[in-house]
Parts: sequence; C-alpha cells; structure tokens
Amino acid sequence: MTETTIPRGNTLPRIRPWLGIAAAASFVVASVMALFWAPTDAVQGDVYRILYVHVPLAWLAYLAFVIVFLASVGWLWTKRPFFDAVAVASAEIGVLFTGLFLVAGSIWAKPTWGVWWTWEPRLVTTAIMFVMYVGYLLLRGLSTDFSRRANRAAVFGIIAVIDVPIVHLSVLWANSLHQLPTVLRAAGSPALDSSMLLTLMVSLFAYTLIYTYFMSARVSLERARQGRLWTT
Amino acid sequence: MLERVGARRVLLIAALAVAVLVGTVAATNLQSQAVYYLTPSEAKAQGVGAGQAIRLGGLVKTGSMSSADLRGASDFRFVITDGSVDVQIVATGAIPGLLREGAGAVVEGAFVADGTFHATQVIAKHDEVYTAPKAGATPAHRTAP
Repeated sequence: MTETTIPRGNTLPRIRPWLGIAAAASFVVASVMALFWAPTDAVQGDVYRILYVHVPLAWLAYLAFVIVFLASVGWLWTKRPFFDAVAVASAEIGVLFTGLFLVAGSIWAKPTWGVWWTWEPRLVTTAIMFVMYVGYLLLRGLSTDFSRRANRAAVFGIIAVIDVPIVHLSVLWANSLHQLPTVLRAAGSPALDSSMLLTLMVSLFAYTLIYTYFMSARVSLERARQGRLWTT
Repeated sequence: MLERVGARRVLLIAALAVAVLVGTVAATNLQSQAVYYLTPSEAKAQGVGAGQAIRLGGLVKTGSMSSADLRGASDFRFVITDGSVDVQIVATGAIPGLLREGAGAVVEGAFVADGTFHATQVIAKHDEVYTAPKAGATPAHRTAP
C-alpha cells in the first residue's frame, strides 16, 4: 500500500454544477425535439420515437464499457488509484444505461415485433453484456484489499469489453431479428431523414453530458473513499 | 500479492491475451453457431419433422395474407417464403400490427402432418430505415385492409 499514491482533490468540482445544468437543459431540448419536432415514421408511426432514448443510451453504454477497459489498462500499467475510480464509476453508469436501454428496447419491441423479448443474437449478446458488468460490480465486493480488488476488477474489465463489438456486430449475423445499424451503416449515409438524424444527434449530445456529469460525481465520490482508506 | 508494477504488467498482458483469444473464438464460432430461425429451405434441407418446435423466418409472400380483420382470430393465414421454398402458416394468437406482405417475419411453432406450419407466436421484422410519411399516405402500421 505504501507505494500507492494517496489521492487528493476532486474531479471537476467547480464546473460540475454547470455540467449538471447543461445536461438537464440539453435533455429537455432533446426530449422536446424527439416528441414534437421530429416527424413520425412512415412504417412504425410514433412508437419509433423510442429510438431517441434507446440508441443514445446504447451508445453511451458501449462508451462506458470501453472506458472501463481503458481505465483497467491504466490501473494495471501505472498503479494510479485514479484509474480504478474511473473504472468503477464507468462500470456502474454503463450497467445503469444498459438496463435502461434494454427496458426501452423491450417497450419498443412489443408494439412492433409483437414480443417483449426473444432469444435473438442482439438481445442475447446484450443480456450477456449486462450480466457480465453486474458481475464486474459484484466481483469488486469480494475483497476489501484495495489493490487486490482493483487488480481482479481490471483483469475482468479488460476481458469483458470483448462483448461490446460482439453486441454491435451481432445484427449482421444471418437469420437475426433486430434491424441493422441505421447511422453507422455499411451502405454509406444514415438511413433516416435529416431532421430525425439531427434529433438523434441532439439526444446523443444530451446523454453524453449526462454520462459526463454522472462520471464526474461518481469519480469524485470514489476518490473521497480512497482518501479515507489511506488516511484512517 | 501483486504489489510491484512489473507483476501488474504481466497481469495486464495476460488479460489482454485472454481478451484477444476469447474475441477470436467468439468472432469465428458464435456467428455460425447462433441460429435464431431457419429459413424454409433450411427447414426442408434439415428434414424438420412434424411437431418439432422451431422458429421459421422469411418474407411474407405478397397476396398471401388473410384480411387484417382476422388479426387475432384463430386461423390467420399467410405464406412465408425465402424465394425458393414457400410455407403456409396458420397462426393463432396476437398478430403484430407491423406484419406486412413483402416484409420479414419470424414464426414460432411446428409443422403439422399436412405440411402447413402452425404458429403460436408471430414476430414482425422491420428494417433500419426511418422516414417521414409522404403527404396523404397512411402509415403502414395502421393500413386498412
């Protein structure tokens, strides 16, 4: 423990309230655009508007787990506790977002596909991703020794990230149900109207701010816990 | 205890190696192992027997679907095709509003002795294209019969 640097200071404490205000404001703008400004869909009608919640949450969950991976590498490489704080913060938010986008997807699936859930590749790989990162958080509870816990979590955080590209690419497998990517599609330009794309991008911006705000608060909480660990 | 930075880096490299290994195995095997549904041709080739519970997927053949009035009735009929083999579906239970001729569908159930497929669950597939309805057009999800 003696080699470990003692954490000090908070993460972005001064600008955090402004980050929160910006996140809330952009969320309101994105919601109004998604509910009232974006046109209805020719095939699905209004129910497609769940896309403006489901898709940004899914992308941010991917990002959160990639950040768990990078922070895990950072911890094992440098032994700086800051990286462990980032990893746990991002994993918790990633699990939250994954849970939410699974629920949103389910609510979208019932009126369109006709089922709440089906054992389709995208859904199965996403469920595995959710369970793996819940497992990651449980694993962190198995040891009270800081370095041992951080090491185990980091190894798990590095291996688990493999499921992120698998989830993303699972829709390309033969004989699946979930629709293909709309924005990042192989065939070139996004397959939605420009006003829909703009709404999606504003939503993505809003959820990115929400993620950043949560990260800032959660990392600083973890740093405070780490500080208590070393001073008591 | 792995207190030295060097030992941790060994751990890091080991973890990355396992990740690459798992990723490679997953990328090469999952895709061919994970079969959500069979196409009519695949079901025929595999000799799926009567009463065997499977999922069958394909396109709803144009002109084959029962009138929309019968949605939810005990025998809603349509044909699922993959272009070469057609299967007559007799579906019970709720029919999704998005089920349309020419669009994708997956059905759960089993073949019966006469070669028709009795579906207990119909799942409609939709594509990744979103667009505003053209002026005067009725959205497909509430198209009248």
